[in-house]
Amino acid sequence: MILRCQLAFFVSLFAANLAWAGHSFENTAIVRTVELGGASVHVTTAFAVKALEPKSSVYTIALSKNEHQKTSWLEVRQKGQQAVLPLQPVLLDAANDAYIYKVEFSKPLAMNESVNLILDTVQTHATFPWPEQAGQTDDQALKYETDLYVLSPYKTAVQRTKVRALSPRILSYTTPEGIEFTTENPVTKSGATVTYGPYHNIPESSSAEFVTKHQKHVTVHYNHDFPLAEITTLKRAAEISHWGANLNIQDEIVLHNAGPTLKGHFSRLQFQSSTFYNRASPTVLNWFTLHLPAGIKNVYYYDQIGNVSTSRLRAAPSVPKSLSGNSNQYSIMEVRPRYPLLGGWNYTFTLGWDAPLSDSTSFDSKTGKYIVGVPVMTVMPDAVVDDAEVKIILPEGATDIEFFPPFPAKNNTISTHISYLDTVGRPALTFHYEHLTDKHNGIIYVTYKVPFSAHLRKPLAVATGLIGLFVLSMGWRRVDVRLDTKQKL
Amino acid sequence: MLAYSLPSDISPSTYVNAASLVRIVALGLISAAAISSRLFAVINFESIIHEFDPWFNYRATKVLASEGFYEFWNWFDPTAWYPLGRVVGGTIYPGLMATSGVIYNLLHALNLPVDIRNICVLLAPGFSALTAWATYMFTKEMKDESAGLLAAAFIGIVPGYISRSVAGSYDNEAIAIFLLMFTFFAWIKALKTGSALFGTVAALFYFYMVAAWGGYAFITNMIPLHAFVLLLMGRYTSRLYVAYCSWYAIGTLSSMQVPFVGFQPVRTSEHMAALGIFGLLQIVAFAQLIRSHVSSKQFQDLLFVSVISAAGLGMAAMVLLTYKGWIAPWTGRFYSLWDTGYAKKYIPIIASVSEHQPTAWPSFFMDLHMLTFLFPFGVLALFRQLRDEHVFVIIYAVMGTYFAGVMVRLMLTLTPCVCVASAVGLSQLIDTFVDPREPDVEQEKEGGDAAPSKQAAKKEKNAAPITGVGAIDDIVSTLSGASSPEKDKSGKTKAGIFGLDTRMVVLFNTAAMLLFFVLHCTWVTSNAYSSPSVVLASTNPDGSQHIIDDFREAYYWLRMNTKEDAVVMSWWDYGYQIAGMADRVTLVDNNTWNNSTRLTAGCAAHIATVGKAMSSPEEIAYPILRKHDVNYVLVIFGGLIGYSGDDINKFLWMVRIAQGVWPDEIQEPNYFTPQGEYRVDDQASKAMRESLMYKMSYYRFAELFGGGQVMDRVRQQQLPKQSPTLDYLDEAFTSENWIVRIYQVKKEDSLGRDLKSANGFAQGKKRKRSKPPVKRRALA
Amino acid sequence: MLLPWLALLCLSLHVLAAKDSAREQLVQLASKNNGVVRLDEKTYDLLTSPDRDWSAAVHLTALDKRRRCNPCREFDPSWNAVAKAWSTVPRSERDNHFFATLDFDEAPTVFQKLGLASAPVVYVYPAAEGPRRPASGKLAPYKYDFSHGFDAEPLASELSRHTPVPIPYKAPVDWAKWGTFAVILVSGIITLRFISPVLQSRWTWAIGTILTSLVMQSGYMFTRIRGMPYTAGNGQWIAPGFQNQYGQETQVVAMIYGLLAISFLMLTVVAPLQKSPQRQRMQIYLWTAVNLIIFSVLVSLFRTKNRGYPFKLFL
Repeated sequence: MILRCQLAFFVSLFAANLAWAGHSFENTAIVRTVELGGASVHVTTAFAVKALEPKSSVYTIALSKNEHQKTSWLEVRQKGQQAVLPLQPVLLDAANDAYIYKVEFSKPLAMNESVNLILDTVQTHATFPWPEQAGQTDDQALKYETDLYVLSPYKTAVQRTKVRALSPRILSYTTPEGIEFTTENPVTKSGATVTYGPYHNIPESSSAEFVTKHQKHVTVHYNHDFPLAEITTLKRAAEISHWGANLNIQDEIVLHNAGPTLKGHFSRLQFQSSTFYNRASPTVLNWFTLHLPAGIKNVYYYDQIGNVSTSRLRAAPSVPKSLSGNSNQYSIMEVRPRYPLLGGWNYTFTLGWDAPLSDSTSFDSKTGKYIVGVPVMTVMPDAVVDDAEVKIILPEGATDIEFFPPFPAKNNTISTHISYLDTVGRPALTFHYEHLTDKHNGIIYVTYKVPFSAHLRKPLAVATGLIGLFVLSMGWRRVDVRLDTKQKL
Repeated sequence: MLAYSLPSDISPSTYVNAASLVRIVALGLISAAAISSRLFAVINFESIIHEFDPWFNYRATKVLASEGFYEFWNWFDPTAWYPLGRVVGGTIYPGLMATSGVIYNLLHALNLPVDIRNICVLLAPGFSALTAWATYMFTKEMKDESAGLLAAAFIGIVPGYISRSVAGSYDNEAIAIFLLMFTFFAWIKALKTGSALFGTVAALFYFYMVAAWGGYAFITNMIPLHAFVLLLMGRYTSRLYVAYCSWYAIGTLSSMQVPFVGFQPVRTSEHMAALGIFGLLQIVAFAQLIRSHVSSKQFQDLLFVSVISAAGLGMAAMVLLTYKGWIAPWTGRFYSLWDTGYAKKYIPIIASVSEHQPTAWPSFFMDLHMLTFLFPFGVLALFRQLRDEHVFVIIYAVMGTYFAGVMVRLMLTLTPCVCVASAVGLSQLIDTFVDPREPDVEQEKEGGDAAPSKQAAKKEKNAAPITGVGAIDDIVSTLSGASSPEKDKSGKTKAGIFGLDTRMVVLFNTAAMLLFFVLHCTWVTSNAYSSPSVVLASTNPDGSQHIIDDFREAYYWLRMNTKEDAVVMSWWDYGYQIAGMADRVTLVDNNTWNNSTRLTAGCAAHIATVGKAMSSPEEIAYPILRKHDVNYVLVIFGGLIGYSGDDINKFLWMVRIAQGVWPDEIQEPNYFTPQGEYRVDDQASKAMRESLMYKMSYYRFAELFGGGQVMDRVRQQQLPKQSPTLDYLDEAFTSENWIVRIYQVKKEDSLGRDLKSANGFAQGKKRKRSKPPVKRRALA
Repeated sequence: MLLPWLALLCLSLHVLAAKDSAREQLVQLASKNNGVVRLDEKTYDLLTSPDRDWSAAVHLTALDKRRRCNPCREFDPSWNAVAKAWSTVPRSERDNHFFATLDFDEAPTVFQKLGLASAPVVYVYPAAEGPRRPASGKLAPYKYDFSHGFDAEPLASELSRHTPVPIPYKAPVDWAKWGTFAVILVSGIITLRFISPVLQSRWTWAIGTILTSLVMQSGYMFTRIRGMPYTAGNGQWIAPGFQNQYGQETQVVAMIYGLLAISFLMLTVVAPLQKSPQRQRMQIYLWTAVNLIIFSVLVSLFRTKNRGYPFKLFL
């Protein structure tokens, strides 16, 4: 918190040069679409931008403070283009306390030229269960809160916000009062969609006085029929073995059902009858599936007290790396906790597997380097990883190591990891992440050299050990320790 | 004259080397077989700790491995015996944990990060290989190497020993049998050579044994008994003196270093025999000394009398001391071996343990198979040449069979002896029929008439070189260590087997038997002794294995979703598992009968308290639960899938144990029907139907059948359509197959009403006048 | 006008008198039949009258031959013994507790009243009034639990918790037993010098050892401890179930083991001594055959005990 204040203080200097930003563009239309989900909410905002000055190439996007806190992933594209536009680091406009992102167009716009920007964001922990307690078979209702107006340092001709739920059962939504930007009713509901707006001729909405004057909070209260799985911590260890031509990946997962906490007690009778009539209640997380890479062997799934016998794997054959680029076939792991997870219950487990090294590694003969790719995480559908630690253990004696994570980690360290019959230990890279969503399933690439001597080190060490043993025993057999050599035992 | 020809041009030394090589290979293979035949449990299920006690050992070992030895040594475990707690370091035999701790640290020093669980699981198989080796050494002292190999093979795969040493049964017996055998080996060695070195070795291994298993008392009494019998047989030698004294002095002193044993070696009757023999030996030795110096008949008689009287006095003194209470009398469990009715009458907790039941013959045959009848034959063979060490095995045989007959679990101590004896016998059979030498035919003609005459033997002596047997003779004798007794008695081969076919027949028969033995052992091991009672296995319609994992499901639920310091009450069988898997505080655990002798009154009362709570109606049980601030009550219920080892079947023991303390509140007969049957259906007695155990087991059970007939698949009885109701407890969790049911104890009602009426009020019923709350207060 | 008071007084006195007279009556009855009151309906009601200030232990039994109640006859002596022991207590205490026996044939109605279908049963009625009225106020009779068998010691120790003073019961010294023991001892010592060669021969001991091991291994202790019958009533001598056996099984199995052991002995020790090849060969084949056959018998016997045992030998 303190740190943020300081940041605010420093960054407030920039307030000046934001002042003129207001005139270089105007938004002909802003459409924000909120896809209500469980733990994560996808928000897509489309800006139709018109340049008011020639050679204007830097567009500014603003997020309010709490919006910024929720947002765990964000990217901007021009409509119709795949390429992601570069984003300048976030600044805090202290005067209006809004977070500012600067987008640079691929080519500067001419006067009155217009372009469509798509801002994709994923918000985590944006929803919360309401009521906070629910019985075993009750429904699960969530609340989502957001600002009515999209912030922008430019004038906006027309703006609307669509909030779309998965099921049409929307329990309630706020109807904003006293809106002078529209004549007809400010909010309409059709099916599973609640639409705010359209609102016309909105001034620079990121300015403090606008926020204080016009900005409103709207809340949507809706039914969600899927359990809120939440991975509190994820520890992934990937160990590379060249001798075994094997990449072992092991995830230690702490699972939490973030739905409404269970009211009263769990009744097996109810649970069994409801599964029998398969009316699975939305708050119960009974099982879920994970998409593991193809061609994996001896998968293990256990917790602190041994194997979890209730889980199934449908393994797919290995895919050569050449066409693994478009590999859309997976081994499907059906993970079933020991007991059904009701609201507020926890479960920890460890999931690991061996994959052929060739599927994820290649040798660059020019540089004499190995390149290995390790996925950051195995995506669990509609679940948020609060805190992830990825550890990549390279073979013993690996030198000049470089790594390229898909997106910057909170921090990363290099340590030494000692495992089976190591003599000097293996270099290990550790990456820390927070609030990972299904958008974050990138691959960490690591390159390293392994000299031939390093390959030989282990067998030599073992051999010497054994020979030493033999020599000792030979010596012992030949030594006579009897005091009285005459007497024969 | 040979039945079949042996190459005679090979030098004896070559034979010897080849033989020793073969022996080493054979031992290696035997160890491999011993280990691998114990891995069924791991293959069929997984690498998991079995049953109940092992879970405590495992937990203690984890403490040892993570916190270090001294932390473990004075580890006070507050989560057991709540609220008393338990001083673990002083109340266990640390040998097992120490062993696996040492292995653990060794492996980690070599950068082999093996999980402590796997070490614990695989400790028993590993030690079984050592046991095989120790048995080999022991039997070698009895007869020769070939007998040793047989014995090793037997002990390696005999079910009687496997039953306690499959992978995962991480219990004291796992290492104890090895120690037992090796101690005995060292003792025999010491006795034969009269070397103080081996006496000391025996003492050290005895110490290890004391640190590892309560059964060390067996050694403590076997060795003195052996010495005593030898004395009676007039076989006193200085070797016996040296061996015994070195063993006793060092062994006893070191055994007193184990805190759990402490001063027992001088204070309890179990150890008095050893002390007495020690004293007796001194007297006898002194007498011998004098006798060797003086040689007057009368004086020697006098001496003899004085020795006897001295011994008598010693005895009398001990009896007196026992009477005065300076020496504790025999502990209950030891005593119940002699007076077999004792336990049931006075120590129901001991009697309640299933492995303390007497043994019927099928289980003997199951555990020993053909050794059951090879064994007497072997003992007979030992009688033929009655060397000192043979006396040992003979005594062991008598004692072992008796104990094994009285208690199932003592089959374990019998097994090694059986293996040794039968190996001796069998190898003698094989020796006789493999030996290529045949009696000379012409000498056999006139030898046809009765008793073997001296001159026949003489004739044979000078006949021997002619028949070229002599050349083979030494080779054969080098191969098969001691040659058969007939030859010892009178020179050369008088007795022997004629022809090849006879040899073939017998040897083939023997081989076939051995084969059958192997098949039997494998079958028994894989079927009877390899299930980790934590995980149950059933078979799906399609024949595939279906795992029933309710225990771990419920325990893990406790671990994950209850408060760290929640107190769980269950019957004591599950105490260790709850502590180990659910990591929660327990009221009572399996420590009860392990050492019921040194149980504080508190503990004994504790068990009875739990028994009372389980067997009395809710209103009476509730105050007890609250007093011991119990948060959860856990019961095992097999009625749905027919798991027979559930709490309703153990219920009578709870009642009995409770009755022992509150005879006028709990009475066993009240739990039977007037016809004296044990029923749970609608004819069940009132006390039964109102008991907490009954209610918790069948709570909402009827609803599961949706109006159909409610069947308890264990008792095979039909239950009333109306399930019992609970006022003072809430169902908190029930496992998939209803085996484990966990109930939460309600807090007192906020309005100060008693919960029954509060419930009644909540359900809109009027409070029953029949039970004014005042009275219930008085009960509370 | 004084009359009512007098009347009242008399009444109360009379009540007391009645109670005392009842006590006297019981005392006499008890002393007549050394310490045990023989009950019928009337005396039963008297003994268990709701205003009793004494406690009583009632032994309901059916001793008549026609009733064929063996446990009754088994239990009766120890009951009388305990009662007799009680009658040695000083009078002051003795008269506060009574031992009574009620035979079915003398008072069947009582059995009906108590709804008893089986005998023997022992009820202890606590005092309903006076100082010894139980604090808990429970006047229901306590039923003695026969789980400790029909011996006198447990009975005495159990009942002592209900009597004003512990019952001074001592197990009677069994002179006969001691006598025989002494005789045997003496005779043994005398004969010792004659049979000492036998005792010193290893083979006596050998036989002893073998027999012990055989008998033990064939589950003798089991039958001892569990008190298993020699055979089932219907002549079936193999007990059903794996952890169960009858007396005869012990013998049969021991015999089988013995035979097998002997066959080995013959092969190893006796056959080699045989001088003529033919006879020896015959012996060897014979004993091998015996060995095989008996063993297969044993296995089949085991299979009858343990269904699902997959192996079989010939039969």
